[in-house]
Amino acid sequence: MTDSGPVSTAVEPASVTGAGEDLGDGRSLVRERRRLPYLPAAGVAVLGLVITGVLVWLAASTYANNENRLLTLRVRDAGALIAEALPSIQTPLASSAALADATGGDVQKFRSFIGPSVGTGRQYVSVSLWRLGASGTSLLSVVGTSPVLAQTPARAVSFFTRAANNAQLSVIGLLQGPQPRLGYAFTSPGLTGHFVAYAESALPANRHSKLQSSSSFTDLHYALYLGRTQNSADLLVTDLKTLPIGGHRASTTIPFGDNAFTFVVAAKHPLEGTFAQRLPWLIAIVGVILSLGAAFLTRRLLDRRNEAEQLARSLERIAEENRRLYAEQRTIAQTLQHALLPEGLPEIQGVESGARYEAGVEGVEVGGDWYDLIRLDDRRVLLVVGDVSGRGLRAAATMAELRFAIHAYAAQDDPPAEILSKLSRLVNVNKSGQFATILCMLVDVGRRRITVTSAGHLPPLLISNGSGTFIESEVGVPIGVNSNGGYTSTAVDAPPASTLLAFTDGLVERRGESIDAGLARLERAATSRPTDLDTLLDFLVTDLRADGADDDTAIAGLRWVD
Amino acid sequence: MGGLGANNHESMTFDLAEEPDRTLTVTLTGELDITNVDTLASAVKPALGRSPQRVVVDVGELRFADSSAIALWVQWAGAVPEIELRDVSPLLRRVVESMGLSKTLNLTP
Repeated sequence: MTDSGPVSTAVEPASVTGAGEDLGDGRSLVRERRRLPYLPAAGVAVLGLVITGVLVWLAASTYANNENRLLTLRVRDAGALIAEALPSIQTPLASSAALADATGGDVQKFRSFIGPSVGTGRQYVSVSLWRLGASGTSLLSVVGTSPVLAQTPARAVSFFTRAANNAQLSVIGLLQGPQPRLGYAFTSPGLTGHFVAYAESALPANRHSKLQSSSSFTDLHYALYLGRTQNSADLLVTDLKTLPIGGHRASTTIPFGDNAFTFVVAAKHPLEGTFAQRLPWLIAIVGVILSLGAAFLTRRLLDRRNEAEQLARSLERIAEENRRLYAEQRTIAQTLQHALLPEGLPEIQGVESGARYEAGVEGVEVGGDWYDLIRLDDRRVLLVVGDVSGRGLRAAATMAELRFAIHAYAAQDDPPAEILSKLSRLVNVNKSGQFATILCMLVDVGRRRITVTSAGHLPPLLISNGSGTFIESEVGVPIGVNSNGGYTSTAVDAPPASTLLAFTDGLVERRGESIDAGLARLERAATSRPTDLDTLLDFLVTDLRADGADDDTAIAGLRWVD
Repeated sequence: MGGLGANNHESMTFDLAEEPDRTLTVTLTGELDITNVDTLASAVKPALGRSPQRVVVDVGELRFADSSAIALWVQWAGAVPEIELRDVSPLLRRVVESMGLSKTLNLTP
């Protein structure tokens, strides 16, 4: 019967309950720690989101800065283009005023000079020549349509008075009418008063005009205001239906006479391209995904670590349980073993006796070793030591069977050789796989005569006067090998005060070493010091087995006393 | 006579050869004891069932054999007409002799 090891041993219900109680504190600790892992995971998520936020902010502000910079460059370009176009409006009017001054208000020359610049699709829709004198304001000539300003003479007078004190172009502003117009004038000091060349340019009816598709500014929305503010009342023209312009804007101011134009633009599409515009969003999405992924991963790693820790704890508990069960099993085995061995040795006049049984270091199973001392009559005893091959309950059962059979045959007063022969019928190695070695000694205490019969067993040691001798006898086959086995006995005389020791192989057998070396070691140990029998037996089972005997051991002794 | 404990399994290997002359050769190496003797017993059983004339147990490479190993060989000896232990070391020879099994296991002196 081979040992399958303590691990496979079934756990008893009682011990499970016990272990469960132990779990109480441990479990609550586990729960305490299980809540914490979500904190690091949340921390990772928050950190990731914060980093994402910073990156998004950087990308967005870089984008905004670049857009503003590009837009500013574009609006400057546009402003420069507009400024370059303004002389084509101002110069003819200034020249016509100078001409009127030089010709003393010659209407014909004025008309022929300015005529080509007036009309639909040209610079002006209406140009008129006025004289501003001490006698009042008089309209000398009109080219093109009638000036809207003429409908409000008082306003015209105040404007011309202001223009007369102004060397440069004077702008009256927006004039409302069927078609909105922008009015402006140049004055020239004459001999009989100031000559005023006054022009009106048409604005688109709803002040809405798209840029030509060939323009390099088609990617911009724009609005042009008169003045230095973006007042909707001063809007000249725009490509938008509603104002003000939204989004990123840039503006520039272009001087126009005593007034100015304010030009505002906004990009229709991101000037840096849509990728730059979408980059912050892209970073945000990827950052959020990565942050949540990292948090999830952190949680999983922490969960795994917790599982591993829990596993380690349960393994530790199982190991602890196994150690406990192992110890328990060992105790059970030893209890059973001792129950199968004699409860006490009989008192015999003239000798003291003693015996020991020791389980092997791995003694979780009962063994097949035994000893016995049977009192036959007042002066004779039977000293028996045996060893059933194998281990476990089968070996123990065979051992008990043999031990009790010996008692029965001894009671019939059978001699040792006869006893062993009869035992041979009880065991059969070919059926059970077991055999037993038995040393059966009939000791005549009074005559100090020992009759030794061995069924495959190691010889007994006889110690006298500090020296030991193994009693050699003819060794028969172990019990169980041959059912018709015959055994021969050998008789020796023991000196007075001598000690007889019978033992099993566990006491002397070591791997890689001859039995003779083990026997010699026993002989040396047994004769090394004079002690009483009990001390000697204790010493032998501890000292000789100190190097970790793996087999169980039985030893029995008799000592003649005076 | 118990042998080693369960947590101390020694390594043992074996090799079986069945010759046409009905000789079964079992070659053993390592340490044969109670912890592994059952493995060997069940492996050899089918070959023994084919009634070999002779079993040769080559123990030249066997470092240790406990009493349960010897009990197994004794079983084999009872199951076939002839048994031979080959290359028996002095240590093992002494063990077999001390158990009175030289004749049973056919150990020549």
